[in-house]
Amino acid sequence: MTVKGILDTDGELHIHGRVQGSVRADYLLLAAEGDVEGDIVARDARICGRVTGRVFALNVTLDSTAEVKGRIFHHTVEVARGARVDARMPWRPLNFFETLEQLPETQP
Amino acid sequence: MTMFSRTDKTPDPVPAAKPVAAPTPINSSPPPPAPVPVETRRSPAPPAAAAGTHTASVSMISKALKITGQLESTEDIHLEGEVDGDIRGVSVKVGHNAKIKGNVYGEEVELAGTVTGKIEARKVVLTSTAHMSGDVIHQDIRIDSGAFIDGHCRPEYGKADGRAHVVQKPAAATREGLSSVKPNEARSIA
Repeated sequence: MTVKGILDTDGELHIHGRVQGSVRADYLLLAAEGDVEGDIVARDARICGRVTGRVFALNVTLDSTAEVKGRIFHHTVEVARGARVDARMPWRPLNFFETLEQLPETQP
Repeated sequence: MTMFSRTDKTPDPVPAAKPVAAPTPINSSPPPPAPVPVETRRSPAPPAAAAGTHTASVSMISKALKITGQLESTEDIHLEGEVDGDIRGVSVKVGHNAKIKGNVYGEEVELAGTVTGKIEARKVVLTSTAHMSGDVIHQDIRIDSGAFIDGHCRPEYGKADGRAHVVQKPAAATREGLSSVKPNEARSIA
């Protein structure tokens, strides 16, 4: 399934398809066949698929099948061997995520 | 955590999604904490390696999920959440709690929730809880007693048929089916 636009949930979100646009969830699982082009905002993000864009998450886990291009704003991060990371990974303090209402403008 | 949850509650299970498609193991992931409202999920979760080889599967949009934009699937879609935009699928089920603002295109559309917009499908079922504001273009329609309709019901053989091909019949759909999706897509983006 392809979604163009915004996905927004307070719960858990599993993406096995394609998303062009932004995603906001509490817990995000991007499966190996998933593909997101755009921003991801989550408390916990587990990425096994492809991301082109920015990730804002307190806890980020990049699985060995992950492929990320862009930026990963995180507080804690885990990267498995095999993950393809072509991204800057800026660390941010907790309050960055707490106070972040609007996503900052950055170059992806 | 304002950005993570609009409500201030802790990230605990939110409104429990209806247990539609039986919960399935998710490939290559540890069991996530308190897996409750799962959204876009394939029913038969294949092992990670077999991605793309799975057969008919349903994408679930659960109650807690809101989508702004277009939704497109070459398979089935089951909606319980809120969508602001157009939906294309083969079999589209709009559940009881679902609210859609936009057009729904499919081979088969079953409506139990609310749609504000147009439905265009070969087979349309409006169940007793359906709330439909807008036109229904169909070849075959069933309206249960209790359904609300504010709009026209039009049988349009040529058009609905054309849509049906766009949405890809497993048997007949080939490249043509897919390529004919593109212009529509482009139109609705622009």
